[in-house]
Amino acid sequence: MNAKSPTLPPTPARTGPGRGIKRSGPVPPWGLKLGGFLATLGVFVGSFGYAGTHLYVTNAPLQPATVAEVAVTDTTSAATATATSSTANTTTTTLTPSVQTTTRAAVTVTKKS
Amino acid sequence: MDLVFWEIARASGLAAYAALCISVLSGLAPRTQALSFLANNRAVRALHDWTPWIIIPAALTHVGALLLDATARIGVLDVFVPFLTSYGQLAIGLGTISLDLLIVVLVTTWLRRRFSNNAWQWWHRVSYLGFVTMFLHSMLSGTDLTSPVIAALSWASAIGIGYYALERLGKALNPARIRA
Repeated sequence: MNAKSPTLPPTPARTGPGRGIKRSGPVPPWGLKLGGFLATLGVFVGSFGYAGTHLYVTNAPLQPATVAEVAVTDTTSAATATATSSTANTTTTTLTPSVQTTTRAAVTVTKKS
Repeated sequence: MDLVFWEIARASGLAAYAALCISVLSGLAPRTQALSFLANNRAVRALHDWTPWIIIPAALTHVGALLLDATARIGVLDVFVPFLTSYGQLAIGLGTISLDLLIVVLVTTWLRRRFSNNAWQWWHRVSYLGFVTMFLHSMLSGTDLTSPVIAALSWASAIGIGYYALERLGKALNPARIRA
């Protein structure tokens, strides 16, 4: 510094909330923005994948009517299947119109003489 | 096809929550220790000013998908007027309130030059209320928050923001401690 230059006044102490906090992180603004965008996009993609594999969450806090109907249907069909299998052992099975035929290949083979 | 909208609505809801967490945290950061390890104040401020560009698309996607989806059964009026839905009135109504507050904060921010600094700051503090209502909305109605991992991440981010908000409040109420 030149000896003839005037003496500068002392720098006033900075006051107010947040003053005095040392912040020396190396990430530039564009890096933070890119990180924020990628974080949000990552949450979206990850959640989309999770939602795709967990379409009907029966213990979700809200149960819209459509989801509730599916849950009830699942429960009813499971109960019907249980009831059918429990009675099939003791009574004769009768075919009703509700039993549908299938186009799938037979699992068992009947031996013909 | 309908279930695709349902999946998009759920995913974009969580994305909007994540974007709002980034926005609130970067807003708190210049006056607290939050993100001090990551960047200087100018960079954090730049991030905060930029966050509407990730919040708005996520929120619009969430609302748009819910309107198109037949699972949630949300109407146009339900998007803006709370507590009108046929089910989950409180849970969905909180989401409506958070969207309304988000609109208020964004509009007042864009009109900042028309307000005095003090008035604008009070309007901007509405964002804290918006975050709380959005958090409660996600907890009370979030289908995916039944997942322990997603719930833990959501709670952790909310607790972190709550901590720094208290730190910010403490410094605002007791600035003499900073000067000392």
